[in-house]
Amino acid sequence: MDFDFSQEQVMLRNLAREFFSRESTPRIVRQQMEDATGYTDSTWRQLADMGVLGLVSDPDMGMIEQALVLDEMGRNAYVGPYFATAVLAASALKAAGDTALLPKIAGGEVKATVAVLEDAISWQPSAVQMRAVASGTSYALNGTKRFVPWAHVADKILVVARTDDGTTVFVVERDAAGLTITPNLEMDRTNKTATLTFENVNADTVLGQVNKGWDVIGPMLQRAAIAASAEMLGAMRRCMEMSVEYAKVRHQFGQPIGMFQAIKHACAEMLLEVENSHGAVYYAAWAMDAGSPDAALAASVAKAYVGDSSRKVCGSAIQVHGGIGFTWEYDLHLYFKRAKHLEALYGDADFHREQALRLMLDQPAQQRQPVLV
Amino acid sequence: MDLNYTAEDEAFRQRVREWFATHKPTGESLQDRKAWQRTMYEAGYVGMGWPKEYGGQDARPMEQAIVAEEMALANAPGAINGLALGLLGPTLIVHGTDAQKQRYVPKMLTAEEIWCQLYSEPDAGSDLASLKTAAERGGGDWVVNGQKVWTSLAPYADYGMLLARTDPSAPKHKGISYFILDMHSPGVEVRPLKQMTGHSEFAEVFFNNVTIPAENIIGEEGQGWELAQTTLGFERGGNTLARVTRHQANLRRLTEICRTLSRDGVPALEDPLVRQRLGRMIVEVEVLRYAGYRILGKLEKGQRPGAESSVDKLYYSELDKRHQELVQEILGPYGQLERGLPDEMALGGSGVRGQDSSWNFNFLWSRAGTIYAGSSEIQKNIIGERVLKLPREPRADRQPTGA
Repeated sequence: MDFDFSQEQVMLRNLAREFFSRESTPRIVRQQMEDATGYTDSTWRQLADMGVLGLVSDPDMGMIEQALVLDEMGRNAYVGPYFATAVLAASALKAAGDTALLPKIAGGEVKATVAVLEDAISWQPSAVQMRAVASGTSYALNGTKRFVPWAHVADKILVVARTDDGTTVFVVERDAAGLTITPNLEMDRTNKTATLTFENVNADTVLGQVNKGWDVIGPMLQRAAIAASAEMLGAMRRCMEMSVEYAKVRHQFGQPIGMFQAIKHACAEMLLEVENSHGAVYYAAWAMDAGSPDAALAASVAKAYVGDSSRKVCGSAIQVHGGIGFTWEYDLHLYFKRAKHLEALYGDADFHREQALRLMLDQPAQQRQPVLV
Repeated sequence: MDLNYTAEDEAFRQRVREWFATHKPTGESLQDRKAWQRTMYEAGYVGMGWPKEYGGQDARPMEQAIVAEEMALANAPGAINGLALGLLGPTLIVHGTDAQKQRYVPKMLTAEEIWCQLYSEPDAGSDLASLKTAAERGGGDWVVNGQKVWTSLAPYADYGMLLARTDPSAPKHKGISYFILDMHSPGVEVRPLKQMTGHSEFAEVFFNNVTIPAENIIGEEGQGWELAQTTLGFERGGNTLARVTRHQANLRRLTEICRTLSRDGVPALEDPLVRQRLGRMIVEVEVLRYAGYRILGKLEKGQRPGAESSVDKLYYSELDKRHQELVQEILGPYGQLERGLPDEMALGGSGVRGQDSSWNFNFLWSRAGTIYAGSSEIQKNIIGERVLKLPREPRADRQPTGA
């Protein structure tokens, strides 16, 4: 029974920590926020060299390693298509047994994203309304996908659509005829999403099997829930650290405000949430890597718990800072918004609470069996 | 990271589970409870973490945690001499004289002698160091006058560990000494305190010129506060997983009831609001489980859990209140019945203290959890000051640390 990270894992975490604190300073983050592309090839290449783009396909690496990287990423609000490429697309490709694209993702040559959500807010296969109509050996895609992360720089866009007897995942190019990418402006400026409209877009590359799209998307969503939780945890940590530091240096009424119980207790409550969230994220990551029977439950527990925790911690952080916490110039809002962005995606806390209940109800006492998403 | 139980630990768990399935207490009287502890002790399930030379087994934290979990699963009453086993015995083992250890420690394990903890006073709760019960030197012996409150087991106790002020002129924490007190001494009066649960778990204890022999002081005069603060290597946090087991059993029962309990025309389990709240509680209990593994992992490596154990008590006690509030919300007026609850709505379980007895008892009892063993407010002060290193607040009884 050992919850501590291995030496190699600690080294990876420290490598990521050092990298992001150097390459994703608030000044750089703000620059990338204003830039339409939003990331640089040189940082992307460094991420490839570090091995962190290929964590999904690396047989020696697992979700724990990726969570450690995402934790540091969230803490520094890294701006770039990491989640879209190395979490979403990579895990979808892996679930489908792909061997062609994964090495290119790992090597940094290919960026990718996955388009799932449509008009409805639902992460169930029944919500996929976009039609893929067979015509010869390929398909014609018609419909709209929303909130697609980093589509504007993705070389490959994985899109799940409805076919005759289920859902199917297709791979299209960013510059495919009939595909229009309209960038959104997000509250979280560190994330660039877009609405994608498909007008008779030709798709001849199926990922996985026809009508079995959810065999690809389901595992992707389970990994995304843990991954998002890890990034939110990092953002929460930063908010807590900034609050505790501020409480020590900000003086009012002749003393540091951290001396007042209201502030002190708010910070203590933040620590409780951070510690509990750490347990939830890394248990879920371990459970996925170890094939634990409660892996699906753990993923939902993490996303539900961290969703609420990050809301509490990041919100409380602004309150502890008072007026300065509300300014654009102060960095707190970068992390507040980063956590908020992920809170709403890959299943919010309500969705995952319902998932947790369903998983528990389907199981006999004292045993854990996974139920497919 | 490895959060699996080993095959050996699973085998141990099976043996423990079988034992508690085939061994039950004889009843609920004091004699029954003492006999039950003795039975568990002889089977190797009491004082497990104590050193072998003192009658324990030097058992690993994992083994102790497994036994605690299995006891929770079996709804088995705990050892009656819990304070002796968990705190007072270990304190004597570390700080007592050989004579004290030989005289007192073995009978703690067999429950032949029951011990209580004489700490809190009416004016000294969170601020325990302000205690006023006085022990004055009279010849070689000590003479004690004063009062303690919130003393559990006092009506049954043979001995108590007493914190009393021996030097009123010394600074607050330095004028306190630690004693072994014979509860049958002349001048000791025990008055049960009735709690809002209707039971008298605790008592007031009055001392009217009670004599304590000189050899019953533990450590040196004036060392009492320091000794009582020492964490003794018998770390807390090993019971977190047993709490999880209890929560899970309660939730299973509650969920079962929700299948048939009708609220506003639909079974409660089909009500989306009920589902959300049940889902939330499942999530929070799982988070407690993971926290339990973190702490157990550290204990197993001989490390002291750091920040994670500071938040442990705060989290599990507040969680219990939320859990019990949820039960009351869902069961409505049924949850408050002490008598008249239909069997199909009942929690089930023995009526023994500390075990799941009824919804209404558990709800009331949960209100105490965030108060004793360091209130939530005190825990947050400790977390803020010792873990986060925020400046201590000015208090009238100590010098301010300044800006």
